[in-house]
Amino acid sequence: MTDQRSDPGRELRPSPDALLEEAAQEGRGRLKVFLGAAPGVGKTYAMLEAARRRKAEGADVVIGLVETHGRQETAALLEGLEVLPRLGIAYQGHVLEEFDLDAALARRPALLVVDELAHTNAEGARHRKRYMDVEELLKAGIDVYTTLNIQHLESLNDVVARITRVRVRETLPDRVLEGANEVELVDLTPEDLLKRLAEGKVYMPHLAAHALENFFRPGNLSALRELALRRVAERVDDQMVGYMRSHAIEGPWPAGERLLVCVGNDPLAPVMVRAGRRLADQLKAPWVALYVERASTAPQRHAEEALALAERLEARTARLVGNDLPGEILHYARRNNITQIVVGRPQPGWHRMFVGRALADALVERAEGIAIHIVTPPRPERPPGRPALPALPHWSAALTAVLGIGAVVLLGMWIPDLRALPNVGMLFLAVVLVNAVQHGLAAALVSALLAFVAYNFFYTEPYFTLSVAHWHDVLALVVFLVVAATTGSLAGRVRDQMAAARARMAALQTLYDFARRLGKAKTPDELLHAVVLQAHRLSGRPAMILLPEQGELVIRYAWPPEDEIEAADKGAANWAFNNIEPAGAHTETLPSARWHFRPMRSGGPKSGSGDAVGVFGVLGAGGPLASDLVQTLDAMLDQAAVAVERIAFASKAAQAEAMAETERFRAALLSSISHDLRTPLTSILGSVTALRRDPTQFDAAARAELLATIEEEAERLDRFVANLLDITRLEAGTVTPKRDWLQVAEVVDTAARRVAKRMAGKRLVRRIRHDLPLLRGDFVLLETILVNLLDNAIKHAVNADLIEVEARAADGTFSISVTDNGDGVPPDMLPRLFDKFFRIQREDRTVAGTGLGLSICKGLAEAMGGTIAAESPAVGGRGMRFTLRFPVEQQPAPLEMSEARA
Amino acid sequence: MTAAATRLLVVDDEPQIRRFLKTSLGVHGYDVIEADSGAAALRMATTARPDMMILDLGLPDQDGAEIIKRIREWSKIPIVVLSARGEEAAKVAALDQGADDYVTKPFGMNELLARLRAALRHRLQEQGAEPVLKLGPLQVDLARRLVTRDGQEVKLSPREYDLLRQLVIHAGKVLTHQHLLREVWGPAHTHDTQYLRVYVGQLRHKLEADPTHPQFITTEPGVGYRLRLDE
Repeated sequence: MTDQRSDPGRELRPSPDALLEEAAQEGRGRLKVFLGAAPGVGKTYAMLEAARRRKAEGADVVIGLVETHGRQETAALLEGLEVLPRLGIAYQGHVLEEFDLDAALARRPALLVVDELAHTNAEGARHRKRYMDVEELLKAGIDVYTTLNIQHLESLNDVVARITRVRVRETLPDRVLEGANEVELVDLTPEDLLKRLAEGKVYMPHLAAHALENFFRPGNLSALRELALRRVAERVDDQMVGYMRSHAIEGPWPAGERLLVCVGNDPLAPVMVRAGRRLADQLKAPWVALYVERASTAPQRHAEEALALAERLEARTARLVGNDLPGEILHYARRNNITQIVVGRPQPGWHRMFVGRALADALVERAEGIAIHIVTPPRPERPPGRPALPALPHWSAALTAVLGIGAVVLLGMWIPDLRALPNVGMLFLAVVLVNAVQHGLAAALVSALLAFVAYNFFYTEPYFTLSVAHWHDVLALVVFLVVAATTGSLAGRVRDQMAAARARMAALQTLYDFARRLGKAKTPDELLHAVVLQAHRLSGRPAMILLPEQGELVIRYAWPPEDEIEAADKGAANWAFNNIEPAGAHTETLPSARWHFRPMRSGGPKSGSGDAVGVFGVLGAGGPLASDLVQTLDAMLDQAAVAVERIAFASKAAQAEAMAETERFRAALLSSISHDLRTPLTSILGSVTALRRDPTQFDAAARAELLATIEEEAERLDRFVANLLDITRLEAGTVTPKRDWLQVAEVVDTAARRVAKRMAGKRLVRRIRHDLPLLRGDFVLLETILVNLLDNAIKHAVNADLIEVEARAADGTFSISVTDNGDGVPPDMLPRLFDKFFRIQREDRTVAGTGLGLSICKGLAEAMGGTIAAESPAVGGRGMRFTLRFPVEQQPAPLEMSEARA
Repeated sequence: MTAAATRLLVVDDEPQIRRFLKTSLGVHGYDVIEADSGAAALRMATTARPDMMILDLGLPDQDGAEIIKRIREWSKIPIVVLSARGEEAAKVAALDQGADDYVTKPFGMNELLARLRAALRHRLQEQGAEPVLKLGPLQVDLARRLVTRDGQEVKLSPREYDLLRQLVIHAGKVLTHQHLLREVWGPAHTHDTQYLRVYVGQLRHKLEADPTHPQFITTEPGVGYRLRLDE
């Protein structure tokens, strides 16, 4: 072996090993595993199909054991295949059917199919586990097809249990899967799987109904699927590396290191995790963050957070329970082929150091062949809220101790009755307590020691020496010291807890402030603004939020205002966005950037696990952010991410709505065009062909009739085309009204002239005062509106004989109304009259409009800054009135008006 | 070709429109020649020496106003332009470049013939304008600056008279807002359309029987005014 590192992992083997491994494979059966993310994805089915193909190719295929769970399709695949009889094993009065290993070995087929690799055999079978049976088959040179669910893999057991809250008892060592020659992933989307579950096509033994429910949740299934996919992907990578090694191909490949990071329940935990990540990155090694829980009820906030952090940093995480810390760690390490262990030496303080050193030393002593890294934290990293317990006594602490003890000594000198131990002891104790409460444990101990020495010196025989004459004095002194130390440390702890509580209160206050601001924020934008402001307040640095817009991250909010960042910062922001990890200043990625960026993770189960909706940035100058600040920030960013998502959803919804609206418009337009264009064209074409075909058959009157039809229909066609143009322009937003000065009477007159020919027996009356002010607007557009209103009255006012146009100006408003004296329209129709393509269905269906005229009126009126309203009945319980209203604008100075009046 | 026939150049890129114009105008005694592009129009305007011209403003190769400008550099032949509704700006531009009148597509034959006659008459008038215009009850004597209705003198302010005079000189022809403002109020006021609105209103009150339904001074929406001649 050329590699000097003694390593239990198979990946580390250099090329001679790889060749050996290949050689070892010869003569051995090949193992193919059909891997699934969950029960019911169709592994057995896929396996049987593959087996049938092999059979069709002429291979000797035998079914060792397959559970069909009563599925018809699966059972059908068994037809025509040789099935070994099962072995009956008596167990607690039942007969359990098991795979018959001996029969299989005797039969010696080329390929044996055995379901459920992780199965635990009944007691009395040769092996405890089925994978051991399979090992024996492989050794005998029999190829094996088998199935496995990802949750049975031992290394994933904890992860799976945490994801699904179902502890899987049947586990399989990872090496079995890793040793398989082929792994085929049988993949099914969670949706499809749930469908199959609902159809009763999934069989899951050993699970109660509620556990089953717990297990088959879309989130769980997605997570399991990801685990399975990842495992197969890793395998592919391994296979390539193996191939490269055995063929002596040079190239970068994973060094085969596996890293274990020990995480404690202390503030050092996140530091350990990050150190582990860095090391793992350098080694290109997979890594595990391990927390060994002691059987205690203490809250494990630090450990929980650290493990969560580790998971975000792509570590596998594991927890063990046990009291022999080094023993548990090393056991886990060996089982998982760990090559390097990172352990922390928590605090420079003395009592912690003891424990930390003990663990690190124990690991170094007992870890044969495993490298141990010891991490000590940088001093300033000590987070606030948890001051180091044995803080060095302050100046003031030493002073109060000396002064207090001195005062007691003087008091004792002055009042001899106090000199008895119980009396003066109480006084000394008081001093110790005061110091403990004021300055912590260390000060208490120093005071206690000082008190001990003072008492010894002044009040025990022989006086003024440090020697003690009576043994009971010694005992008393020792007891005194212990009591002082204990009460002092208790008081000190109370003090520390108070400090921690104060720090928590401060953090809570911050969050409370923020929550209040959030409450005030009415729109997501305001909320983002609040986040940036708050982040700026907390960190004392410039902060910003960047959101993707049209595929590019742009600054949405920044405080102090900032609208551009440098290219390096942009790169870091993009990286943070794309990789969903912090980047920029004080990170490993693009640390030269000026800003530090943190991704805003989308929340909620719908968005899946791992989309960034935006990036938060804070200026890097001034060192890394304190860890508690980071926590608070991340909590805020989660809120902000939800807000951003809301913005995105809202704008998407608006877009979809706009698109649907456009779509509806198009559909209506098409149907209108096909109907309203064809009708006049049909009349025209019909009349013209009739005239051309039989020119002599028509008398003068008939010919005139046909020609009139042609003319009228052509004019109608022209109006329709004009309407279509208008509505399309309005839709496209290209109507830009002129702002001329208009005489309303003039506009009404031109409109009246245009409809004069088709009044259909209705009389038009104009009531327009000649002293009206000028109206500011577009002549042609107002004319179009009036023509449409007149047309509407002419065509649709049933039983009307009079149309009245009235214009007046009062209270700063121009109103121009068109009123008919017909039957009017039902009140419920009024609000819809201006809708595009809305037509009132009438029984006789005589006059069918295009449904465009009134919506054009509304669009044009609004484009000109006016309004249009409809009322019915208008006068005396009859008729219909449309009223246009425009503001009366400041009239232009009429040049030489006096001269004009001359 | 008879000497009396008016030679009319029709410029339009649509063959159907040329065909229909050639046929129907031919019936009315016009000698119609055709061009299908701006370049061909310019060429034929010099070679074929038409007496007047119908020009579509929507030619694919050249801007209508540009063609008019080039022709006006050397020729005063009457030009009537064809253009669609909603293209008032193009009409105004063509008129400003020297086109005599316009017809909005689609148009009726009566309307086109009236415009052609008015444009042609106007050119003839320029050579020896009649000093007195009679229009129904209305009579305008430009030489004596006298306006009468039903024999009664109508008192007009100087501006009103100037405005009416412009309309009378170009009777039957459309006059753009800019033209009227320039001629009556001076070049500094070509955008003050409010003057026109007010003065046209006043003129109508003095001349028309029903000022809200004017018979003599008609409005050309978005373009200008016209003194309508009885056809």
